[in-house]
This record gives sequence, structure tokens and C-alpha cells, in this order.
Amino acid sequence: MSTHTAASPVAAPPPPEPAPAEPNYLNVSYSIWSWLTTTDHKRIGILYLVSISVFFVVGGLAAGLVRLNLLTPTGAIMTEDAYNRTFTAHGVLMLFFFLIPAVPGVFGNFLIPMMIGAKDLAFPKLNLASWYVFMLGAMLAVWAVLAGGIDTGWTLYPPYSSRASTSNVIPGVMGVFIAGFSSIMTGLNIMVTIHKMRAPGMTWGRLPLFCWAMYATSLIQLLGTPVLAITLVLLMVERAAGVGIFDPAIGGDPLLFQHLFWFYSHPAVYIMIVPGMGVISECLTCFSRKNVFGYKAIAWSSMGIAVVGFLLWAHHMFVAGISFYSALLFSFLSMLVAVPSAIKVFNWTGTLYRGSISFQAPMLFSLGFVVLFTIGGLTGLLLATIGTDIHLHDTYFVVAHFHFVMVGGMVLGYFAALHFWWPKMTGRMYSDWWSRIASVVIIVGFFFTFIPQFIMGYHGLPRRYPNYPAEFQYLHVMSTAGSSILGIGYLIPAVYLTLSLFYGKKATGNPWSATGLEWQTPSPPTTFNFDYNPIVVCGPYEYAIGVDQLGRGLPKPPGTEDGTTPPSPDSPLNKETKVVG
Amino acid sequence: MSASTHSSVLKHHFDNLEQQHSAERLGMWMFLATEVLFFAGLFGAYTIYRIWFPEAFEVGSSFLNWKFATFNTFLLVTSSLTMTLAIRAARLGNQKALLWNLIITAILGTAFMVVKGFEYAEDFHESIVPGSLFGGHIKQDSIDRGIDTGKVQLFLVFYYVMTGIHGIHLIIGIGCVLWLVQQAYTAQIPPENYSTVEVVSLYWHLVDAIWLFIMPLLYLAGAGLKSVH
Amino acid sequence: MNSILPFIPVRASIQADKFEALFWYITIVCTLAGILVYGAMLYFCVRYRRVGPAELTPRILGSEKLEITWTIIPMIIFLTFFAGGVYVFNYAAHAPRDAMEVFVIGKQWMWKAQYPNGQRVIIGGNPVNMSDEERSSIGRLVLPVGRPVKLTLTSEDVIHDFGVPAFRSKIDVLPGRYSTAWYHPTRTGEYHIFCDQYCGTWHSLMVGKVAVVEQNEFDDWLAGFTPLQGSKNAVDGSLASEGRQLFLKLQCIKCHSGDVQGQAPVLEGLYGSRIPLDGGAFQDVDDSYIQESILQPRAKVARGWKPIMPSYEGQVTPEDLNALVAYIRSLQPNTTPNWTDRFPAPNGAPTERPQPKTSPEKKP
Repeated sequence: MSTHTAASPVAAPPPPEPAPAEPNYLNVSYSIWSWLTTTDHKRIGILYLVSISVFFVVGGLAAGLVRLNLLTPTGAIMTEDAYNRTFTAHGVLMLFFFLIPAVPGVFGNFLIPMMIGAKDLAFPKLNLASWYVFMLGAMLAVWAVLAGGIDTGWTLYPPYSSRASTSNVIPGVMGVFIAGFSSIMTGLNIMVTIHKMRAPGMTWGRLPLFCWAMYATSLIQLLGTPVLAITLVLLMVERAAGVGIFDPAIGGDPLLFQHLFWFYSHPAVYIMIVPGMGVISECLTCFSRKNVFGYKAIAWSSMGIAVVGFLLWAHHMFVAGISFYSALLFSFLSMLVAVPSAIKVFNWTGTLYRGSISFQAPMLFSLGFVVLFTIGGLTGLLLATIGTDIHLHDTYFVVAHFHFVMVGGMVLGYFAALHFWWPKMTGRMYSDWWSRIASVVIIVGFFFTFIPQFIMGYHGLPRRYPNYPAEFQYLHVMSTAGSSILGIGYLIPAVYLTLSLFYGKKATGNPWSATGLEWQTPSPPTTFNFDYNPIVVCGPYEYAIGVDQLGRGLPKPPGTEDGTTPPSPDSPLNKETKVVG
Repeated sequence: MSASTHSSVLKHHFDNLEQQHSAERLGMWMFLATEVLFFAGLFGAYTIYRIWFPEAFEVGSSFLNWKFATFNTFLLVTSSLTMTLAIRAARLGNQKALLWNLIITAILGTAFMVVKGFEYAEDFHESIVPGSLFGGHIKQDSIDRGIDTGKVQLFLVFYYVMTGIHGIHLIIGIGCVLWLVQQAYTAQIPPENYSTVEVVSLYWHLVDAIWLFIMPLLYLAGAGLKSVH
Repeated sequence: MNSILPFIPVRASIQADKFEALFWYITIVCTLAGILVYGAMLYFCVRYRRVGPAELTPRILGSEKLEITWTIIPMIIFLTFFAGGVYVFNYAAHAPRDAMEVFVIGKQWMWKAQYPNGQRVIIGGNPVNMSDEERSSIGRLVLPVGRPVKLTLTSEDVIHDFGVPAFRSKIDVLPGRYSTAWYHPTRTGEYHIFCDQYCGTWHSLMVGKVAVVEQNEFDDWLAGFTPLQGSKNAVDGSLASEGRQLFLKLQCIKCHSGDVQGQAPVLEGLYGSRIPLDGGAFQDVDDSYIQESILQPRAKVARGWKPIMPSYEGQVTPEDLNALVAYIRSLQPNTTPNWTDRFPAPNGAPTERPQPKTSPEKKP
């Protein structure tokens, strides 16, 4: 294999451990008011973290109810109406109020300024405003979902949503519409910050891959969301005023809505997955102590996904009544967008080659991401191929594919990020043993939940069916059983992460021995992140040389025999463990 | 840090004013990009339906009052001029000219909305409204020409949604200009901070430019239509 | 039905065969690619796991050759998927010119099919929100095997989707426009019809059945002779249902009611049987006997019945006769309709009325 290798200079000595910051951004003030009026990007990140966790729980409960109801072929616990409202609640909350803001809102806000050596995002007030706008939209949507519900599915296709449905469509749509502006604000802020606020020496070629991923994501948020906004406005006007924009009975065309909707909502899945890819690039390099394989390829493939992602919306509409030739075109373009994703997977695998791999929770989540995302991506090919899509479209195959990418990919990416940066955000270490257990339980539960759905979809079972032919029951039961494992898997981190806040060992500034600028601050950081002006001297992943981006040496990584942290005596969860690796 | 640090103007998280101004400008340009996409969805939908139902759109358009629209166009274009003069005044530190140019801009924008209000009132009076209120001459004329009244109402939906959303943008713009007036009045816009005016002006010009597309699309589409009677 | 699903779902059309070939080609190639990646990952994770203190790793930054390789090769493979997809889709999107045409209408929450000869069948839907008559007419979409059939579909309200997994076909059904799908069934049997586009409360009950039958059975069914559609009533719009209308209109029902105590024999299940006649002879009930009995009722009277039926000679056209025969042929036990005022005797109808409540009258 011909590879670019460079001689490893002798590693510089690690910098002294920065003194714990006093006060840091968390304890600089305690009042509720100081949190609600903060313009500190880190605090806003925490606000997002808390709020999306709530929506994740509500959306997850809805998913649990859906799975329970599917235990029997005629619906185990709910009426059809209740089922339709429940799966819509799951879809709307998870997509618009968890997946889209998850990484950009929490980690984009928290990390981007620190990674590029800035004191804050370019527009701190706008950033705070984005959270308020998000909460306003979320409150409206949650109210719509709980007070009567919405029964249109998250895709909101008219004329059902504009004429036939009798549910709370307008408040729900209004909530999504408002939350869209929050997404635009965050994207705009992050893009301007990356353009204008980089520390000296932080060239585009030295940006961490997470920043590249967030840049690509922000581009989509900026250019896609307004189209969704205007589409939703038209939908609300049609429903409220009874005029025909999409309803053919009074003049309109329902396919126009689908075109406009997917023009945003297809790129929106890249808003959800690309940040996860950025997280994975950070974790895989750190825990295999390797320079990333193919930096440029990974960075440009993110941008490629962002751009090509705008050109293939109609692959959701192969059987919706679009013309033969546009189906060909969109199928072709969908094949093209598969290439950058494949490039990423190969490069991540290449990063492992000749590494020194250890298996802490962030690494396990990242490996899980690669495995599950690959399955999700490959099954996507079956849906992008028109000849197979005409059977698989709108079946459980789509559901399984989508969840493999969104849950197997994005949620695992989110968990990887949460576990990777948790010490930086809170200044505490969580239980190593329990976090590894949780990652394994989540991945196993996930497989049992969604593999049966591939089979059901292949056999033609349509999605959104509370009643189904009896021959599908055993697969539905398997899937529900798997989802209960998955549910337990999600509970474990909730417990040990909460406990870590009180009992966790104090985290050092750089507990994973990572190279990024964000680690060259105390944990948790001070309000303005750096008490010096960082000057970047090298690329982001110089693990082989053993220097961080400031050119200083790295502390001992965890999991090395002398680097293993002894269990904290006051935590019941910090059991003695042997390192897997 | 740059020597030009001006504590009242430079925000704490920027290194120097140049960085701050360029970030503000870039942010506004990006916001304008999202605005363009926002209206692009609307214009796209309009275009598709106009191509499908040209006659109905011509009939609908012929009932709109182009005189109001022409006068409004004049108001908006003039306001863009005064807005630009305000930037120049801010840059030169001419506080008085800055203040007056901003005030005139706000007045012109408000006048636009007032005229728009009269126009809407007239439209309602003549039942040029989609939905259940639709009726009067426009309905009769459509029927006489053998045109589906649903499609004419479709045009009116676009008329109200486009001018309505444009109006909301203009109101936000007037609010921003009034905020600038307050800032200028309290002498908080020194020459080195002229980019605040520039950023607002970018937005103002975009709202103006969108009107220049809306005006012909809505008001002039049916200008060549001959009377059926 | 409550068994384990087969490994490969039943394939009942040419398109299904084409689909499976493409599906498994993509699946196998993807599986191999997956095994390659996972194998490499697993090997690296085991081989390069950290055992002692962190070792310094080689500074490998990437490889342009590899990048190009794993850009070009997947691209080529994906394009073969695309080509296969176009081939199958091209087949699926263009119905042959000689295909029989069936119209399908979707509405919340019911599918209705209309055949070229005017027959209309409710082929699925939720019984709860149907009228009684509709409910008793739920049948199946009957298609002949080995012959292309083109479906033209539209919706009365919201968007639906007409999917038949056994045919590997699916098409959205939109209000205000027509979409088409076509099948070339290759295998007789009964298969699911699903509504695949979410359409409201009873979306999951907007399901039905498609029955693929041999050509001769299909012809019989088209004529309304067999209740293949699965419902009790004659297929709406069929010859038999036309006969049913006549049967009511000509007041045949007045005597030939479903009541065994009536004035005339119950006609259910009569066709094809052998009945005794007045005078000791036996008669096969076939087309010509029924026709004769309508035109010259007193020629061959069934044993036990009085010869009171009037002749309908001149009152019915040969077409009407065919329809009546088809209806009688289709009558199944307990399907004779009740007498109704809706069809008073037409002008010029036979005036020779049966005497009410006298002795039982006659006539098959």
C-alpha cells in the first residue's frame, strides 16, 4: 500500500495540567436567570442538551407505545386514531426537535468556537435567540401532539393534511415552522464563526473534521430550511383559508407540496447524519491514536454530500407520479451521493489500520455507528434503485433503512459525542464499565429491533399500519422485544451520566489525550474558553507524532496500564474493570 | 489585538473591528441567501402554476390595481436611495444626515404599507379574495371567459401570500431602521461602526429587490388582457 | 396463514421475477462489500488493539491511489445497480398496448375496480365505514393469469397507493389525475392489496385481495356466472347484475322470492341441477330451459307448481334474456333480494297477475 508517511519527530513533553478553572463557565453564576440570559455558547449548548433530552424521552415513549401496539395484528393497546397520532408524535418530535438540533445545537454550539480557538460564536445573542425560538416552536408542537395530537405523519402530505385530517395540524406545523428559524440561526452562526473567527494558524486544512461536517450541515440548514418554511406557510394558508394550493379539488397540485417538502427534507437527513460523521472522525482517530486516513477525502465528501444532497429530493417520489425521465435522473443522482458516504466508511476503516486501539465507550459507539450506518447506507441503495424501490417504497424496509441511518447512525454518533465530550462539558468522568455495557446493549437491542423490519418490508408490509396480516406477527413481536432491549440501553446512560455529575471523578483537561484545541483548556472551561490566544501550528490529528494542535505533547491516553484511572471510592458504579483492548 | 479597539463598539469575542464587521456582513449575506431561498419556493410555485394556467392568472392579475403598485414601487426605490445615503453619512460621521436619511427611509417604508393597506381594503371591497368571499366582478368575468374560478383564486392566493410575506419583511425592516434611528439619535453609530447601517441596508435592499420581482409577476401579468365585454 | 413467512415472498408476475433478480444482485454485492469492510474493521480492532502503554503509531495520512480506487469502484458498482433499476423500471412503467384495462378508484377507505365491460367490484377497504350494500359486495380484484393487465388509477379524496407485493408493484393514487400500473400475472392464487400511502384513520384497513385465475374462470366471472369476486351479490355492472335489475323491474321477484312458501320456486342454486317436471319427465336446467320458461312458461312446468306464470314473450329482448339467465345462473343460496317497491311494473308489463295467497303457482 502506498501511503504518505512522514518521519515521526520525537514527541514534545505534555504541557502541565491546566489548573482547574475557578470560576468555570458552569459555576460562574448559579441563578436560573443567569442561564436564561446567557450568551455563552457553552451554556446555550447545555440548554439545548437539556431540552432535546426531554424531547428524546417523549419521542422515545411514543416509539415504545407504537411498538407495544404492534404486538398483535389488530393493535394491542390503541385505537387506529391513537396509533396514527402516536407515530406522528414520534416522527415529528424525533426529527424536528431531537435529530436536527441534536449535534448542531448541543455540540456545534459547544465545540465549534473551542475547536477553532475562538471565545464565542460570531453572534452570541442570535445564538441565545435560536434557543428561545426553538423552545417556542417545540412547545407549540408538543402542545399540539399532547392536546389531541396530529395524525398526518411527519410528512404532512396534502390533501390529507390540508383537508381531510381533523387533528391539530396547524399548531404542529406552526411549531415546526418556528423551530426551522432556530435551525437557520444556528447554521448561520456556525458558518460565519468558522469563516471569520479561526485562531491564527487554524487554516482550512487544519480544521478538525467535526468542523468540516458542521460547516456542510450549516450550509444545508441555511439553504434548505427556508424552502420548508415557505412550504409550511402555504400548507397552513391552504388549511386555514380553505383555498387550493396543493388540493386538486380546488385548483392545486399535491405533487408540488411533495417536491417542495422533500427539497428540504431530503437534505434534512444530511443535517441529521453529517454531524454524526464528524463526531466519528474525531473519536476514531483519538481512540486508535492515529492520524485520520484521508483528511481531505473525508472533508470534501462532507461538502459533496451537502451539495449533491440538494439534487436528489425526488427519489422519495419514484412511485408518486413523477415522470419516467425525472425518476431516472433522480435515481442516478442518488447513486452519486452514495459515493461520498462510501468514501468516508473506507477512510474510517483505514484509520484503524496499524493503530493502537482502545475501546472506551465513545469508541464503541463510533464503531457501532460505522457498522450500522454502513448497513443503512447499503440498504439505501436498494431504495435509490428505481426497479427495487417500486416494491420497497413505503414499506417497513424504508422504516428500517431510515432508522439504521438515523438511530444506528445519528443517535449512536450523538451518544459517542456525549461520551467523548462529557468530561469537557461537565468536568466529570462517568463509569467506564457501565458506559461500555450501555453501548453494547444499545447496539444489540437496535439490531433486534430493526433487522425484522427489513424482512417485513421485503415481504411488502406497508408502514404506518396498526393492523397487519397475521403472518407478520412473529416479526413484529421480535422487533418489539428488541426495542425493549434498546429502551433499557438508553436508560443506562441516563443513570450513570446523572450519577457522574455528583459522584464522578474529576476530569482532567484532556482525559482522552486528544489533540483538538477544545482539550487544551481546563475541564470544564472558563467562560471565554482560552486564557491565552491559541496559535495553531499543525493539523488536527497528529497522534503519531504525539502533539496537539498547539504543538505540545499529549498526556498518557486512558487504557494504558499506567494510565488507567483507579475507580473512585465514593461511586458505587465505578467498578474495577479490565481494559478490553 | 488591534490597536483600533473601541470598547463601546468592539464586542468582547472579536479580536478587532475588521473581523467584527466582516463577520456581520457575512452573516447578513448568508441570511439573505436563506431569504432568497424562502422566496424562491414561492416564486417557483407561482411559476409552475402560471405556466399551467396562464389564462386564469391573466384574469386574476387584470383585477389588481397597478396604480397602487406603481406608486409603491416608486416609494420603495426611493427608500433604497435614502438608505444608501445613510451609509455614506454614517461613514463620513455626518450624524445629522444619517439621522434624516434613516427617518426618510422609515417614512417611505411606512407609506408603502399604508398604500398597501388601502389596496387590500379595495380588494376586499370588490371581493377579490380567494375562498368563500370570492365573488363580484372577478368571478363574473372568469365565468364569462370560461375560466375555472378555482384557478383564478389560486392566483389570488399567491397575490396575498407574496405581498403579505413581503409586507411582513418590510415591517421588520422598518423596525430595524427605527432602531437605527434611535441609535443614531443617541449618537451610538460612530464612523467605525457604520457597518451596522450597512448590514441593515443589505436587508432593506433585498426586501426592495423582491418587490421588483413581485410587482411585474402579480400586477403586470394580465396587463395585455382584453376586456371580454 | 399464521405461519413463518417464506424466505422469498411469492412471485406472481413477470415483474416480480425481474425484481427478485435485481434485489438479490444488489443484496449480494452489498453483503460482500459489507463483509469486506466489517472484516477489515474486525481484523484491525483485534490485531491493533492496545495492549500495553500507548505505542506510537505510524503517521499514515492517506493514499491517493486508494482514495481513487474506492471512489471509482463503488461508483461503477452503483451504476450497475442503476442500470438494473432502469431496466426493471422501464419494464414496469410501460404497459403493452394489448393489455386489458381495469380502472381502480381509491377513496377513504375503499378500493373499487371497474372492468372494461362495466362491471364494478369493491376490491377492499374497511367494512366499518361502508354502507350495508357496499359491505355485502366486498370482493376481489380478479385477473386472468398469463395476460397483461393495465390498471388506471385515481382517487376521490386524498393520496392513496395501490401496492401488490406479490407483483412487486406499487403506484401512488392521486386525486385529480390518473396514474397507471400494469401486471403480467404468472401464477394463480390470492394475494394482498395494500394501501401504501398514509391516508388517515383506517389506512391500515384499506387492504384488499387480488385473485389471479385461469382465463376460462376469468371469462366465466366476467359474465357474472361465478361469484368469484367473493361477495354475495352479483358483480355490479356485470351481465348478472343487469339481470338482477331486470328481475326486480319485471316483478319476477314478486313470486320468485327467497321464501320457500312463496308462489313460485326459489331460483337459488337452480342452474345446472336436474328437476322433475309435471308429467314425470326430468329436465336439466340450462340456458335454453330458462329462456324457454320465461318465454313459454307453461311448456315445461316444474312438478308441484301450478302453471300460472305469464309469458314474457315480447316483453323482453334477447339481451334481457341473456341477462336474466346470467343472473339466475349466478344466484347463490340466500342471495335472492327482497321484494321492493322501487320497481313498479312497467307500462305494458304482463297484466295477468298471480292471485294473491291462492294455491302455489308454477314455473321454474
